[in-house]
Amino acid sequence: MTTLAKDSMEAVFEGWTSTVGKPTMDSDVRMSTRNVDVHYGDKQAIYGVDLDIGKNEVLAMIGPSGCGKSTFLRTLNRMNDTIDICRITGDIILDGDNIYDKHMDVVNLRARVGMVFQKPNPFPKSIYDNVAYGPKIHGLVTRRAELDEVVETALRKASIWDEVKDRLDQPATGLSGGQQQRLCIARTIAVSPEVILMDEPCSALDPIATARIEELIAELSENYTIAIVTHSMQQAARVSHRTAYFHLGRLIEVGKTDKIFTAPEHKLTEDYITGRFG
Amino acid sequence: MTSSSLLLLLILIAAISYFFGRKRSEVVAQSVGGVRYLHSLPNYYGLMAAVWAGIPGFVVLSLWVMFESTVIQGIVASSFPDSLKALSESQTNLLWSEINNLRSGVITNASDPALLTAAEQLTALEDRSSILKTILTLGLAGLTGAIGWKLIRPAQKARNQFEAFFRILLMLSSLIAIFTTVGIVFSVLFESVRFFREVPFFDFIFGTKWSPQIAVTADVPGSSGAFGAVPLFVGTLLIAFIALLIAVPIGLMSAVYLVEYASSKVRNVVKPLLEVLAGIPTVVYGFFAALTMAPQLKNFFEGIGVNGVSSESALAAGLVMGIMIIPFVSSLADDVISAVPNSLRDGSYGLGATRSETIKQVVFPAALPGIVGGILLAASRAIGETMIVVMAAGLAANLTANPLEAVTTVTVQIATLLVGDQEFDSAKTLSAFALGLMLFFTTLMLNVVALAVVKRFREQYD
Ligand SMILES: Nc1ncnc2c1ncn2[C@@H]1O[C@H](COP(=O)(O)OP(=O)(O)OP(=O)(O)O)[C@@H](O)[C@H]1O
Ligand SMILES: [Mg+2]
Repeated sequence: MTTLAKDSMEAVFEGWTSTVGKPTMDSDVRMSTRNVDVHYGDKQAIYGVDLDIGKNEVLAMIGPSGCGKSTFLRTLNRMNDTIDICRITGDIILDGDNIYDKHMDVVNLRARVGMVFQKPNPFPKSIYDNVAYGPKIHGLVTRRAELDEVVETALRKASIWDEVKDRLDQPATGLSGGQQQRLCIARTIAVSPEVILMDEPCSALDPIATARIEELIAELSENYTIAIVTHSMQQAARVSHRTAYFHLGRLIEVGKTDKIFTAPEHKLTEDYITGRFG
Repeated sequence: MTSSSLLLLLILIAAISYFFGRKRSEVVAQSVGGVRYLHSLPNYYGLMAAVWAGIPGFVVLSLWVMFESTVIQGIVASSFPDSLKALSESQTNLLWSEINNLRSGVITNASDPALLTAAEQLTALEDRSSILKTILTLGLAGLTGAIGWKLIRPAQKARNQFEAFFRILLMLSSLIAIFTTVGIVFSVLFESVRFFREVPFFDFIFGTKWSPQIAVTADVPGSSGAFGAVPLFVGTLLIAFIALLIAVPIGLMSAVYLVEYASSKVRNVVKPLLEVLAGIPTVVYGFFAALTMAPQLKNFFEGIGVNGVSSESALAAGLVMGIMIIPFVSSLADDVISAVPNSLRDGSYGLGATRSETIKQVVFPAALPGIVGGILLAASRAIGETMIVVMAAGLAANLTANPLEAVTTVTVQIATLLVGDQEFDSAKTLSAFALGLMLFFTTLMLNVVALAVVKRFREQYD
């Protein structure tokens, strides 16, 4: 982006007060964030974000590269705790509990808020062990038969069961990229989370594999709350109910997905969606 | 001219050829419309000119240097009177040292007048050889240099030729390493065969008594039992085992701490400090083991009522050796653990795994091939270590599994067998080669097993 464009954007932020649209919800809220700031060392990456995510909702987060989508997503299950220099202020509430509360157990939190990453990252274990990993460490099952069942259910929900049922004991790294990503989704589902966070889950996949994951997201939204970061506006339009537009660490606009893509209110949103920058 | 000044001259010639070859390519380029129409860049023409001028001369020079003395000695020996020709090998060796002493003026009276003539003949031949060598080397360099110069044409594929030359050069370098290994193995093998002619093979590898001293003084060569290598190998394995018992857990855990838990500040201080351990000379470890560790251990065990603790013990040597090889394990493990992609850790944390669960179940399996490699490196280091054992574990070849007794190892015995003036064909010295061969075999098998383990995991996880 040119200096001029950047200057004009800073000018936009001079008068920036609050998010356009309706970031909060009145009922059926699963997670909500209030006045969340994130700093990496001295550098601020997120500025005062208020946002609610509803039950059985798919929320898409879009915005130019480096605007803080991943950062924000990772605050939702405290994955940023693994980064030394990262500091978070504000409130993030999951079903009434503040997840940054001293008494919140991160292990438990991450079982409730699962995450699927940009690049498929199966463990160097068998397909079965990949899915069984979560249930085992959380002690969700006691008997082998139960575990088998959990694994099968998760693989079925991630619609990959038919492809792997005959090779459960083979290394997961031998699967194709699209299969690996569905396996990672199955792995996340296996601990029965309430919320699934996805950070550009399809960016390493071809269109066919992407289509399958999108179908999957639609099916999963019946039971789970899903927050997905994506660079593909078509994908956001296809899978999500609501869309949030981020820009340089600010949440600029939130709204029903079809409204955001047809009649964005904020100039920045409109520019991004019509492809003027980003 | 001496060989080294000839070599310098050759390098100089090659360097000059490079510049002139380069210039010439630019000159010939004008006939075809400029440097860009040459087949290769001028640099490559220069390089090829240098190769032509330098390499053939170099090859001849090296061959000459390699065979010069053998050939000259052969010529001189062929003109020995028959009385001298009939002598045994060791006597002939004595003759040659006398000849050399005559030439250098250390002695003036020859035991045999034929030796005086031989000395003169030797000097004359060497002078002639030196002249011939100079003429041949420089002449060849000039000749092939001229050929290389002539070859420079726009169409000469100098780049491809130089690449081919370079490939051969690299190949030869790798061959040198291989040939050296093969050479060492064979020489050890031959000497071992000589040893096994005197001491039966099975007595050696299954014998439980090691005392080479007896075998030398007694008239009976290699009386059975004196060359049983079992106590040495047991001693070696015992000490190496104790060392690994110390080094592997501590090394791995410190690597895990440094990679997974320590802040970068701590890491930047601790990691170099750990590596200092690897830089301490083994002699220093040795006297630490002998003077500090061994007496402490003796006191400690006697304090808790264990009697008969030797002041030199396998335990002392093993413990100190373990400390010495910690850095081998930790720095290799550190490398492979850091090489495990963060995405795997994130995946595990994202499922709610704790740090130790992540390390145990995700990081370790992924890093396993490298870790096994590190452990094996440490193991062969422990098996080959000599100094600490000499100083701390003693020389007594006891066959025992008790770490509190004095034991000795293969390498220590090899060292003591070959220290001092020895006749090279007694069973005592030859047994050093047999031990070396066995040791080589042991480490080889260790590596083969390691490679197999690593490969199995690779196949499974890549
Ligand atoms: N570990 C980190 N340390 C320091 N700064 C970071 C770190 N991670 C992200 N940032 C900074 O925070 C800002 C937001 O980064 P983030 O990764 O959240 O962007 P993003 O919207 O996900 O971008 P993309 O679409 O390219 O993935 C960027 O300016 C980035 O440089
Ligand atoms: Mg991102």
